[in-house]
Amino acid sequence: MEKILEVIDLRVYYDLPQGSVKAIDGVDLDVVKGEILGIAGESGSGKSTLALTVSGLLRPPAKVVSGKVLFNGVDILKLKNDELRSIRGSKIGMIFQDPNTYLNPIYTVGFQVGEVFEAHRGGSLRKYLDEVVKLFKAVKIADPERRVNAYPHQMSGGMKQRVLISMAIAGEPELIVADEPTSALDVTVQAEIVELLNEIRDRMNTSVIFITHDLALLLEISNRVAIMYAGKLVEVGKSSEMLKDPLHPYTKALLSSLRYERKKKLASIKGSIPSLINPPSGCRFHMRCPYALPKCSQVEPKLVDVNGRKVACFLVGDGYGGSDKSH
Amino acid sequence: MSLMRYLAKRVSHSIPTFIGALLFMFILVRVLPGDPARLIAGPEALEQDVQRIREQLGLDKPLYLQFVDYVTTLLRGDLGTSIKFRTPVINEIMARLPYTIVLALVAEAIAISVALPLGILSALRPNSKLSYVSSTISLLGASAPIFWVALMFIYVFSVSLRWLPSSGADSPRHIILPATTLALLLMGNLTRITRSSIIEASNSNHVLTAAAKGLRDRAILVRHVLKNAMIPIVTIMGLQIGSLLGGAIITETVYAWPGIGSLLIDAIFFRDYTLIQGIILFIVLTFIAINIIVDVVYALIDPRIRDLLWRTS
Repeated sequence: MEKILEVIDLRVYYDLPQGSVKAIDGVDLDVVKGEILGIAGESGSGKSTLALTVSGLLRPPAKVVSGKVLFNGVDILKLKNDELRSIRGSKIGMIFQDPNTYLNPIYTVGFQVGEVFEAHRGGSLRKYLDEVVKLFKAVKIADPERRVNAYPHQMSGGMKQRVLISMAIAGEPELIVADEPTSALDVTVQAEIVELLNEIRDRMNTSVIFITHDLALLLEISNRVAIMYAGKLVEVGKSSEMLKDPLHPYTKALLSSLRYERKKKLASIKGSIPSLINPPSGCRFHMRCPYALPKCSQVEPKLVDVNGRKVACFLVGDGYGGSDKSH
Repeated sequence: MSLMRYLAKRVSHSIPTFIGALLFMFILVRVLPGDPARLIAGPEALEQDVQRIREQLGLDKPLYLQFVDYVTTLLRGDLGTSIKFRTPVINEIMARLPYTIVLALVAEAIAISVALPLGILSALRPNSKLSYVSSTISLLGASAPIFWVALMFIYVFSVSLRWLPSSGADSPRHIILPATTLALLLMGNLTRITRSSIIEASNSNHVLTAAAKGLRDRAILVRHVLKNAMIPIVTIMGLQIGSLLGGAIITETVYAWPGIGSLLIDAIFFRDYTLIQGIILFIVLTFIAINIIVDVVYALIDPRIRDLLWRTS
């Protein structure tokens, strides 16, 4: 299987006056052509930072400390501004969380989508109007000829998200990064948007990174899922397998909180995400983990292959978590 | 079409404001101690002469009758006759107004051409030296009293360096000092608001979308940052017309600039009721007009406001 994206030992820190926040602290991840890779985790786990890094949109105070992000074999972290710009919007499309604030209120939606063509093919915006109408049809916006002249505040949240999606697919990208694309929407609209993304993937054979804190949704739509916790990956595997048999205690906790939710009981994982300025030693989940061993607080488990899945935990596989075998 | 309807509505809504302002200044002018008839007659005049002048001017009538007289002449489009100059008030104002308009425009132009670039640059590089320089200038401009600035300018540029004339309006060089003084008053706030609204606009989420589209930095800045930041900037420019007019009164007086500001001071010293009323009426009208213009400019920039204002009117 052809890899479109390889993230290798990525570390992204935010330099704040209080110290540096280690938002991503050693992440390795691949995206295969045509797949939907889901990334799940609580808020503050680093998943949005990962999305911004992959699309080359990191802004200060965020800083890449180490690692590579290979897109079709080219490290986008090493690209010059202008080279990066020509990839953004054409080879990598980005969909954001809140359609209400990610559209500029003072331009028509048609103008804002047309800007993608203008940026990558040049010429005046006007001549791309037909293509924008076509795109609006593709993302099932009713009455597209009229809607291109609408302003964002004249549309519903779901419609605006469709506009943002049309923007992301305008350049027929090889990779779409969707950062919580459905979190700000009603449940029924959520389903429509997910279906739309699925269709787009099928039609254009685009790879999709789908980021959300909604694990149930993720397991349903993605081929593979990566679980992030406090700036690190704890488990990566096929959605179907992970749903049946979660290996990492954090994945288990996330899934069981889902099952409780269905019974209308409130279940949450005790405690909260640790400080990312001074992350705890050992496994970052050990303070909240019901199965924690003494060594979990001292030695950091590595992400190792266990039956075709990757897990970072001493409790699974050979019991060593791939770390120093003398323990 | 809806723009015309909106304008009509705004103009008709300004009428009560206008009448209120008219009444207020009418009373205020007459509450001032001093008597124009006495000033015309001179300090040695007999009481009966003063009384005769008072009757000629209609100042012996009860206050409400004076107001009715004033409004009826006003409705005929007549601002009355100046007590001091014995000429129509409108002629006096029209002779002086061009000077004030030129002064205000030049001051605004100087303020904008310094404040906007300074605000933009210091917003783009918040920790640069330029940013600190611009904050210092804004603070000085906003807090230094205008009469003091005017006197310092005269001292430095006219008296010591002998570069520029200190008073009058005989040549284009005469406008440099008064316009710069007035501009300094506007510059401070304008720089500050420009800087903060650009910082706010560039942190909005839609700027991230623009970058994700692959737009060039220039297009992002011009279309998605500057244009969005224009709304607060236009507001402050509109509000500053007030400071501009107030500042013009002091500036024109210090530099003997023959605009309506110095005319107003003359009129007040002479208790020239009709002239004072005429000038203030002009100022009130200017304020009302500027407010309407600012709202229309908002609506032109922001479609949300356009929908709100025009569709509901």
